[in-house]
Amino acid sequence: MHKSDSVVKGNVLIYLLVWTALFFIHFTIVYFELGLSIESALADSFVFNIMYVLIGASFWYPVKYMSIDIYSTPRLIMNHLAAAAITTGLWLVACYFILTSVFEFQQEYYDFLLSSLIWRYAIGILFYVVIVSLIYVYVTYSDYKEKELNESNLKVLVKEAELKSLKYQINPHFIFNSLNSISSLTMSNPERAQEMTIKLSEFMRATVSKNEMQKAPLREEIKNARLYLDIEKVRFEDKFEYIENVIEACENIKVPSMILQPVFENAIKHGVYESIEQVNIILTCSKEAEYLKITVENNFDPDAVPRKGEGIGLQNIKNRLKLIYNQENLITYSKDGTIFKVNIFIPLEKENVL
Amino acid sequence: MSKLTTIIVDDEKLGRDIVRNYLKNHEKLELIGECGNGFEGIEKINELKPDLVFLDIQMPKLSGFEMLELIDDPPLIIFTTAFDQYAIKAFEVNATDYLLKPFSKDRFNGAVEKAIKSLNSGKENAKLNNLLTDTKYSKEYLERIAVKQSNKINIVPTDEIEYFEAQDDYVMIYSEKGKFLKKKTMKFFEENLNPDDFLRIHRSYIVKFDQLENVDISANESNTVNLKNGQTLPVSKSGYAKLKERLN
Repeated sequence: MHKSDSVVKGNVLIYLLVWTALFFIHFTIVYFELGLSIESALADSFVFNIMYVLIGASFWYPVKYMSIDIYSTPRLIMNHLAAAAITTGLWLVACYFILTSVFEFQQEYYDFLLSSLIWRYAIGILFYVVIVSLIYVYVTYSDYKEKELNESNLKVLVKEAELKSLKYQINPHFIFNSLNSISSLTMSNPERAQEMTIKLSEFMRATVSKNEMQKAPLREEIKNARLYLDIEKVRFEDKFEYIENVIEACENIKVPSMILQPVFENAIKHGVYESIEQVNIILTCSKEAEYLKITVENNFDPDAVPRKGEGIGLQNIKNRLKLIYNQENLITYSKDGTIFKVNIFIPLEKENVL
Repeated sequence: MSKLTTIIVDDEKLGRDIVRNYLKNHEKLELIGECGNGFEGIEKINELKPDLVFLDIQMPKLSGFEMLELIDDPPLIIFTTAFDQYAIKAFEVNATDYLLKPFSKDRFNGAVEKAIKSLNSGKENAKLNNLLTDTKYSKEYLERIAVKQSNKINIVPTDEIEYFEAQDDYVMIYSEKGKFLKKKTMKFFEENLNPDDFLRIHRSYIVKFDQLENVDISANESNTVNLKNGQTLPVSKSGYAKLKERLN
């Protein structure tokens, strides 16, 4: 356990203040009630209390070595009773020795001292019990506080890890297929091969750097989508057409980075790839109440049997949006005849609300 | 020696371009056809009877593997694909070689040499004769089955299937859209269908669970089960025990 210096200082101060109060109470009793001389009353209350201040400070150790989590309750009580008996005995012996050897008082005082030892012993035990109990309470409380702090730290870490695991990853097959297209173009059309190499590099660089960020302006996301679709266009040629319908005011709105990529990959994989006819991929962005609404739709061949893996990318988006915005249902998808439609809703921050 | 004939089946033009380019002025191979999908592939292979086919695996609607299942006397096959996860399956259907895209000309020529060698030695096992075996060749369960029905190719999603019935060397597939004959064994289907959906209830029958009309699981024995479509199928003793266990 690491406690800051200020906390330790505060605790020591409280400890000393309490003992100062006890000193005055002690003095009041022996001077006013029991009628000791002022010197002997002062010496008596000073010696007994200052000695307990020193002994009491060492009670941290039995508490530290006898944790409530490890020791059974009967054993804990036995051990502490033994410790209380011994420390209180030592305390009385030490005080008695100091008061008899250092000071010289009237015999009356020493008679009183001897007769009051049994009471002092009882009070010493009581002090022990009170101090040790307080220390246990304090330790348990600060353990609890620490645990709570650790737990909230852990929650943040889990959320971060979850977000990380949901981040977009480049599909290796996309890379291999693109490289194959490039390999082919180097023979038939070197210029286009070079163009495609550059586009692929740009896409990969953007993906890698974007994954470092949590959010990016929609404009960047769209730019990346165009790059991706341009690359796929080399492979699929006229098999698909990309249409963009974006309101300018939406372009600066920040969205989770790479949030659209899986949707376009989905459209390519299930729409373009499985179809023999031409497929249209349409992107629409608009503001709707407190949301930026992004829609991607594509037609598909209803005869094509859906392959497994559909929905994993979309499921990831759903989980990511939920973690980031703390809202459910920020993505919806529907199949209507031959049109597959994905809607993503990004909650607008205040300055972006219409 | 006359040149060996070959065709390319690949849905991507750029994919076909590479192979065509590598085959240009080839001493031992002659390119006699190109196909952009599996359906054309079946037609061309049956018509031109090439010695060797360069075959892509992932193609729309009909995959390379599904296409092969529908060819009666398949030629030598060299798979060309960007996906390495099909290598084991390719090996199990006795493919001559498996080229991972993009591949070099040397690698390509190596595959061609292999094909020529096995053709010259006339080894029967080099042929794709294992296609019709019972091998469970993938951890993925079947999601669709390609069938041929009087020269028309149908893709039957397993979701639409009601039950399977053994018929000698064939299996009759009964689906919502009709019945289709497939040259496979019952064992093949038993192993490759998702056991969560299908159960072999009899030597000659595999049934889809959601097609069953309420089964009386309290009865000790039964010789038949009823389907939702009103049909009655025989069930064996062990089949009934499995069915009861499953429904419990």
